[in-house]
Amino acid sequence: MAIATEPGGSDTRLAQLRLMQLISPSLPVGSFTYSQGLEWAVEAGWVKDADDLQAWLGHLLREALAATDLALLVRLYDAALAGDDKALNDWAQLTLACRESAELRLEEANRGRALVGVLEKLDLPVSAGLRPVLAACQCAGFAYACAHWEISKPAMLTGYAWSWLENTCLAGVKIIPLGQSDGQRILAALAAEVDEAINTALSLPDDDIGAGSTALAIASSRHHYQYTRLFRS
Amino acid sequence: MNTSLQQASGWRAELDLRFTARPGRTVLSGRRRLGPLAVQRPFYPEGAPCHVYLLHPPGGVVGGDTLDINVHCEAGAHALITTPGATKFYRSAGPRAFQRQHLRLAGNATLEWLPQENILFPGARLDLRTHIELGAGARLLAWEINCLGRPVIDERFDHGDALFGLDISREGVPLLRERLRVRADNADDISGLRGAAVNATLLASGADQTLCDALQAHCSALKDACAGVTLCGDILVLRYLGQDTADCHRLFRGARDLLRPRTLDTAPDAPRIWAT
Repeated sequence: MAIATEPGGSDTRLAQLRLMQLISPSLPVGSFTYSQGLEWAVEAGWVKDADDLQAWLGHLLREALAATDLALLVRLYDAALAGDDKALNDWAQLTLACRESAELRLEEANRGRALVGVLEKLDLPVSAGLRPVLAACQCAGFAYACAHWEISKPAMLTGYAWSWLENTCLAGVKIIPLGQSDGQRILAALAAEVDEAINTALSLPDDDIGAGSTALAIASSRHHYQYTRLFRS
Repeated sequence: MNTSLQQASGWRAELDLRFTARPGRTVLSGRRRLGPLAVQRPFYPEGAPCHVYLLHPPGGVVGGDTLDINVHCEAGAHALITTPGATKFYRSAGPRAFQRQHLRLAGNATLEWLPQENILFPGARLDLRTHIELGAGARLLAWEINCLGRPVIDERFDHGDALFGLDISREGVPLLRERLRVRADNADDISGLRGAAVNATLLASGADQTLCDALQAHCSALKDACAGVTLCGDILVLRYLGQDTADCHRLFRGARDLLRPRTLDTAPDAPRIWAT
């Protein structure tokens, strides 16, 4: 397995627990307050039922999460492991450049700022030079914490993908609305696609990083102007 | 497999353009071409800005063709580049067509990059990358309009694939990165292209929330299409999904009329070739 020869975490039991803490909805970074355009997509009639929600998230998992978040986490993690602050900063900037709208950029930064605050309270050392980088980009903070807590790269990607799925799926369940069991069925179905998304991310050349989910970008742009909204993105 | 050979069988075209600010007007100070890409003689319908029509290979682009377009706007220059008609990418027997557009704007340069639409015939295989580098104070107004298949005759892009790449940076810092991958099996995805034949993006640097708000009204007035406008840093990004390139042209030209006085300090003025 590639895992054994790769540098990085060894997924000790403690490391696994640290990952669970990082991806827990109870981590005070406000994950549950963002819908990433889904709130507008529901209002516009683009997402009406459980099948639509699964299709909405499935496309994003395959086309966007794999080619942006997960692919960038790989680079951010490697940079954190190597102690290369310059590379960490460069990849964090590219992460923000991949966010398609003002709201998605704000979400990336707000969650980054909240996360770095939590990490510092957990006595994870963050240098003064690195702090603004992590505070501007939640992916950077997440990868940095995983590298520090000896969480392996595959475990980090699996955890991040699950956390994204859980948060956005539950946002959809609330907005549409759907029953809790519908949400769980969607999570179970899409969880089976995570492995392929991670493999895509791990083999993606640098120049291919990026996505083009036009409907998501439009939905997120329009959400800014939505009259009544519960979610921040 | 055999990619180099297949590419060697296609057209290799390259065009380098350099624009320089001279007293009173911008001149096309450098022009180097290879193969069937060309520009007509620059002209000056509105004073200082240098207008240029870019001519693609006659008849269109086929699999295996490689087109490189490099534009360099020197400090303070103002160039406007458009095309006299749509660029057609035909069905491929296998190899991809590559088009790379590298636009470099030095400090305080202005570039309007306003080609008419790209039409991808069913079965086309295209790798189209646009890389825009902005210097300090450089001003950009650009769009890209892509039409998959020919919706007017109900012809869908039911086979083939395309990658549309976009990178914008300012003084080396990435501002926007997109990689839109289109295949027959994802073109209907509801958070992707939603089955829309036309997907298009307009970009304007130096924009603010007020301009964004004004354009939002244009977006919500669309009837048979969907559009959204947002700010990515100081870059305004207006995205369109619909079935009709004429509808998209109207939206984008209207947006340009609104933007041009504010972001380029230049009066609205549509190139006459668009009216033909």
